Amino acid sequence: MIEAINVSKHYTLKEKKRWFRSEKKTIEAVKELNLSINKGEIIGLLGLNGAGKTTTIKMLSTLLKPSSGTITVDGVDIETNPMEVKRKVNMIAGGERMLYWRLTGYENLIYFGKLYGLAGDVLRNRCQSLLENMGLGEAAHIPVERYSKGMKQRLQIARGLINDPTYLFLDEPTLGLDAPVAKHLRKSVKELAHQQGKGILLTSHYLEEVEELCDKVYIIDKGIMVLEDTPKNIIETFVKEFRVTVEVQNASTEQIHSVQRRIHEKGASFVSTEAAGGFVFEVISPFDATPLAASVCFELGLDIQRLETKKPKLEDAIIQMSEGLSA
Amino acid sequence: MWLPFSATFKRNFIVMKRAYPWSFFIGHILSGAYIVFFAYLSYTFVFNKDMDTRFTAYAGTNDYLSYVILGGVFFSFAVSMLMIVSRSIISELREGTLEALLLTPSSRKGYFLGTMSQGLTRAGIELLSILVIGFFFGLQMAIQDPIAVIILFIILLFSLFSQALVLGAFMLYFRDTYITQNTLFVLMGLVCGVTFPAAYLPNYVEWLSYCMPLTYGIDAFRMVMTEGETLAGIQFNLFYMMAAGILYLVIGSIAIKRMEYVVLEKHFG
Repeated sequence: MIEAINVSKHYTLKEKKRWFRSEKKTIEAVKELNLSINKGEIIGLLGLNGAGKTTTIKMLSTLLKPSSGTITVDGVDIETNPMEVKRKVNMIAGGERMLYWRLTGYENLIYFGKLYGLAGDVLRNRCQSLLENMGLGEAAHIPVERYSKGMKQRLQIARGLINDPTYLFLDEPTLGLDAPVAKHLRKSVKELAHQQGKGILLTSHYLEEVEELCDKVYIIDKGIMVLEDTPKNIIETFVKEFRVTVEVQNASTEQIHSVQRRIHEKGASFVSTEAAGGFVFEVISPFDATPLAASVCFELGLDIQRLETKKPKLEDAIIQMSEGLSA
Repeated sequence: MWLPFSATFKRNFIVMKRAYPWSFFIGHILSGAYIVFFAYLSYTFVFNKDMDTRFTAYAGTNDYLSYVILGGVFFSFAVSMLMIVSRSIISELREGTLEALLLTPSSRKGYFLGTMSQGLTRAGIELLSILVIGFFFGLQMAIQDPIAVIILFIILLFSLFSQALVLGAFMLYFRDTYITQNTLFVLMGLVCGVTFPAAYLPNYVEWLSYCMPLTYGIDAFRMVMTEGETLAGIQFNLFYMMAAGILYLVIGSIAIKRMEYVVLEKHFG
């Protein structure tokens, strides 16, 4: 398990005031963060730009030292034994960095594999298998500078897996990727956690991705942890508005008034519009009103053409929450 | 340390094969060749092949052309080696691969040694090319002890490697290669006895030559390659270069580690 206890990180930056004059300024990027990642678990780390997500990942992956607090990886302290920790973790960032463009995909993996102490057939077989798994088998011997953005990203994932890490940090891994490539990547992430038992920490601006993948989500704002829960619980906590849209045909105005009355009786609001050959009405309620709308229509003998429930999403919850935070 | 060494050697070799830095290569040979050519012209047409007594006293020889040509050969070699090693980490930073490198539990010394060894193949060709040009312009060699030349070469390489670590740390600190490296190279060209003995310089400038292992390297190469000196005769130079190399290695190793961290904090934090 990765465990971060009361971890803080501050930077001292020089701010230019005038020619040859600057003032030191301390920026607290992360403040007393507590976080844990278990094997086989996908954890989401969310926050606005500048919230401290990347700093947190860099501390967990040994690239930055915390200003205070402790981080342990399977009981090993990250500061006293960084080399042992480096063997157990790896990081994949979005974009096209962290690869040697003049080398081929295969040569990149061989190089990084050797830096992790791998050699011989073990390394060659692992490189081949990672390239095949990432769909880069045919492009293995082409220089990376000729790869597309998606291919580079997949090679980055292969690089991140070259040391078979127990824990993997993904910093915006699908940034700028086409939908099919992003989908393939999400599938790979799920397999890595649920089939291979790797602990994964994911940051992403695509909240649907976080909702789909993550078992648990940490939300940080200006370096401070504001919430830690499952995506489902976060949605239930913050989203108090469910919407059900129903389209009915051959309904009279009286029948629609009856529907409206019965919906209002249950504490939900009701908006209807006339459509070709019938009505479309929307029920807005603090609970899931799908069974209510369906049963009312059924009792009144209305011909339901369409019934659509808009499930609240993590994005809605985050918006609600950030409005609450800024208020 | 072996795996990072061999991996970095091979990586740089592949990159060199695919995108050979012809401009660097030719540029270094040309700067060496220019030193030789200008020395020949000034010696022949300005000094009328007549050096003053001070030169003989300071340089220990009146063979000015051999003096300058060997100076040019090893100055170019030193510049190449310093550049190859010192620019390696800042190049990783610029190419966006520094984080990936620092994430690995690999030995940094292995990485730098791999970079240096691969760079040696290129710098070695440059050295030989300038040496060949030098023969056409009057270089006269009198090697009595080839073992001394080899030992001297290895020790010079070690001291340059160590100095390159310090230079690399400065490059990371200033986030610059051009001004940092050229400031050092101009100073080396001035004080290391490349084209004239450092003793010509005023005392307050001459002391700078003591900080440069190349001063003692060039001096020793002249002794063993043109004056027929043996290993025993260059002991002081070898000792000094070793001592300077160890000092630079300690300072460079600490500084580069510190600068890597500073860069990560400033650049990526």
